[in-house]
Amino acid sequence: MTARHDPHSHFERRLGRLMIVLTYVAVGFLAVGVILMVRAEVSPMAEAPPFDPRQVWSDLLTLQPDGYLWTGLLIVIVTPISRVAGAAVGYVQRREPIMALVSVAILAVIAISLALAIATS
Amino acid sequence: MVVALWLLAGGAAAGLFGSLLGLGGGVLLVPLLTLGFGLDLRAAVGVSLVSVIMTSSAAAGVYLERNVANLRLGMTLELFTAIGALVGGLIAVLIDERLLAILFAVLLVYVAITMLRARAPAREGVTVRDDIDVGDDPHDTRSAPFDGLDVQSAALAGLSGDSYTVRHLGRGIVGSTGAGVVSALLGIGGGIIKVPLMHVGMGVPLRVATATSNLMIGITAAASSIIYLLHGEIDPYLAGPVAIGVFVGATLGSRIAHRIPLRYLTLAFVVVLLWTALQMFLKAL
Repeated sequence: MTARHDPHSHFERRLGRLMIVLTYVAVGFLAVGVILMVRAEVSPMAEAPPFDPRQVWSDLLTLQPDGYLWTGLLIVIVTPISRVAGAAVGYVQRREPIMALVSVAILAVIAISLALAIATS
Repeated sequence: MVVALWLLAGGAAAGLFGSLLGLGGGVLLVPLLTLGFGLDLRAAVGVSLVSVIMTSSAAAGVYLERNVANLRLGMTLELFTAIGALVGGLIAVLIDERLLAILFAVLLVYVAITMLRARAPAREGVTVRDDIDVGDDPHDTRSAPFDGLDVQSAALAGLSGDSYTVRHLGRGIVGSTGAGVVSALLGIGGGIIKVPLMHVGMGVPLRVATATSNLMIGITAAASSIIYLLHGEIDPYLAGPVAIGVFVGATLGSRIAHRIPLRYLTLAFVVVLLWTALQMFLKAL
């Protein structure tokens, strides 16, 4: 952690671009999902089916709104996590072990969130 | 169809005003969904968290590209906000919804007071001017950059920017953990806590603190939204239109912010916040 903040870091710019691209992809999926929802006359106040990862792919192929909405929401949640994963790789390549460790620790907390959520749901 | 349009419009309004007033959409979105659409508080928090991640990711991406955000500092602090969010997410599914409503009302009052104080001249040393580099204050002996070989000084040096020195890392860690808990409980980004914490508490210039807070918000909200998602508290039919609305509103807000006189808008907004806080209190009783 002795390196100073690099003002022209190519690596940070790439992480920024990754986040912007993923956000727009998520908006795209959500927009398609909302259009399909309106076309199928599904009310937003209707009870939504629970999240089932096995169902998402088939919903996407059959143009069901649920598949597009869940995919968009998952990309939204994954976007900041992918930024941390990208940073971990970048810090390892730049030989900054402490920041690499911090990145891995953040990913570990996310993994614990996931494990606890599965265990308690 | 009509409800979807109302949700889109409501999300857009929350995103627009949030962006104009420097707040995340969550502070506005949760009351809108509970009081305006009759959602239960936990469902509103789940939708809000997703919207908050979306707008913060878009903003953080731009800040990283332009090299405004301090990635090292953001990642160091977000480790602790993520831990706080994990704890908050677990508490949120256990505690009474009326208590959540009361906590949200208290948060709204806090935000209203913070906004009123920010409008006042900087007589108390708390400034919102963007050009002030707090860390470079030559009279502040607490900064003491690079004056020793101890571990904390080395760590702070590594987290500092070219034109400022980060200080009080311990304060930042404690505050970030608390911001994570609050964020997960109430479905807000927590920028209202993180920005003053970094700017006033740690000597980070306001522009950098705002950009870095946007980075941290994404991970904070992601950690708790995983818990909400797997507990069935995120409804895709509601979250889809609202998130798109918030994204569009926030994008529009960031483009027109410099043309809007914020003085009266802020004052009107404070009144709305206090009224909403009262409604949330009444809902809880």
